[in-house]
Amino acid sequence: MDKIYGFLIGPGAWIAFSVFILGCICKIGAIILATPKKDRVVLAYFSPKYGFRSLIHWLIPFGTISMQENPLFTLVSFAFHFCVLIVPLFITGHVVLVETFWSVSWWTIPDKLGDILTLIVLLCLAFFWGRRLWVKEVKFVTSWTDFLLLSLVTAPFLFGFIAYHGWIDYKLMLVLHVLSAEILLIAFPFTRLIHMFVGLLTRVYIGSEFGGVRHVKDW
Amino acid sequence: MKIKTLILIIAFLGLASICLGQEDYLILGKEFKSPERPRVIFHHDLHNEKAHIENCSVCHHVYKNGKLVPDESSEDQPCSSCHKVHPVKGDNPISLREAYHKRCMGCHLKEKRGPVMCGECHKANNEKKSK
Ligand code: HEC
Ligand code: HEC
Ligand code: HEC
Ligand code: HEC
Ligand code: HEM
Repeated sequence: MDKIYGFLIGPGAWIAFSVFILGCICKIGAIILATPKKDRVVLAYFSPKYGFRSLIHWLIPFGTISMQENPLFTLVSFAFHFCVLIVPLFITGHVVLVETFWSVSWWTIPDKLGDILTLIVLLCLAFFWGRRLWVKEVKFVTSWTDFLLLSLVTAPFLFGFIAYHGWIDYKLMLVLHVLSAEILLIAFPFTRLIHMFVGLLTRVYIGSEFGGVRHVKDW
Repeated sequence: MKIKTLILIIAFLGLASICLGQEDYLILGKEFKSPERPRVIFHHDLHNEKAHIENCSVCHHVYKNGKLVPDESSEDQPCSSCHKVHPVKGDNPISLREAYHKRCMGCHLKEKRGPVMCGECHKANNEKKSK
């Protein structure tokens, strides 16, 4: 198990992060480069002012009408996306590894707080699973790819949580954690997960059009 | 009479087993005042014997003018005299945490022997032992 772990945190991590970073750059680059061909008008009307005005409204909890109409989903969604970014970036386990191998270090959240934020992520994920499984309207538009996507995101958090607490079999759980996390990173650019980056672009695009062309609010 | 002798023998055996059972080990990282993880127990001599490390300067190294001096060693000083928990400007830039992990985890990974996962060194019951 130690040898597998040694591979995963060495060459495995290199492969996963390379695919992740290069993949995201290529995908976003392709979208930006394709814009002049697909929709020339948007460039003419591109407006930082209206674009970012719209983006900011959508980044504020309850900043839009559709969010006000679905308060529970909005709450869960914001809590989820906040924790899902904070936890991997600032957990001691991750910073210590980067510090040891690449000699760069940054601020960490205390382990106890990390544990609570992880629990919040897991509860939110349980909510998303439940919606897809039991809410009729959502179930209707759900395909197996949605469950695959949910599994990809759930696995690293679940195994990381179990490993941190030393439950079941510490070494196996930590190996599964790192393995599932690297699969997630590699899959990221090629699945809908890339919406975390592309979604920001789309918002600016829609905001430009609504603000600059139609002269209406889009939130 | 017999019962008294028996009690004496049992008491003696108990005491002897406590004394003999007590191994020589160091509890590392007393410098971290409110540690995130349980402190690491390090069986200094046993470890170096098992890992066949004869050269003390592998860990207790000495630097002069920014260069490693291979045949001098610094076992008279704790790591923390040169590697601070929170290095400020002008200090050695390698923090104590980084120094320990690079040295300990680094060698274990390179030699493919010895613990490499967080929980193998930072064991949950270490803290109880150190009290
Ligand atoms: C080979 C043994 C070893 C491994 C593996 C290891 N550490 Fe450590 N770690 C140490 C030693 C030794 C110290 C310094 C003294 C101490 O804390 O006992 C230390 C210190 C620390 C500290 C600073 C002191 C504290 O508790 O706040 C943190 C945090 C830490 N380690 C986290 C981790 C994490 C996270 C991992 C896994 C990615 C890890 N360690 C893996 C040996 C190890
Ligand atoms: C694998 C690394 C390693 C090697 C090799 C090693 N030491 Fe140490 N030694 C340590 C660490 C870590 C400490 C704790 C230092 C601290 O508290 O900052 C220590 C502490 C000591 C201390 C102080 C003990 C105390 O009670 O505080 C002495 C003396 C010492 N070492 C002597 C030696 C000698 C002599 C050798 C060579 C035969 C040697 N060491 C080899 C890691 C090592
Ligand atoms: C007499 C001062 C001194 C002591 C004592 C000392 N170090 Fe260092 N150490 C240094 C200096 C100086 C450097 C070089 C820093 C740099 O490269 O800028 C260094 C670098 C390192 C590095 C990074 C380079 C390498 O060799 O991989 C590690 C790891 C390290 N020390 C671990 C330790 C550990 C563990 C101990 C305690 C057993 C220790 N040091 C004790 C002065 C010391
Ligand atoms: C130069 C290489 C080297 C360095 C440096 C080193 N180790 Fe080890 N360590 C080993 C090897 C090899 C083993 C496996 C020994 C065996 O076969 O049992 C080992 C085993 C261990 C074990 C398993 C228990 C045991 O004693 O057998 C622990 C715990 C450990 N090391 C802690 C540490 C800590 C803490 C440090 C840093 C202060 C450290 N090691 C530095 C090579 C190293
Ligand atoms: C985006 C992907 C990742 C996510 C979402 C993630 C998430 C987590 C979580 C939730 C924890 C447990 C925190 C807690 O409950 O306190 C954790 C711990 C940890 N993770 Fe990750 N992680 C990811 C990627 C990685 C990668 C790529 C590696 C290694 C190369 C890694 C190594 C570790 C380690 C070593 C721990 C500490 C385990 C312990 O304390 O024993 N993680 N991670």
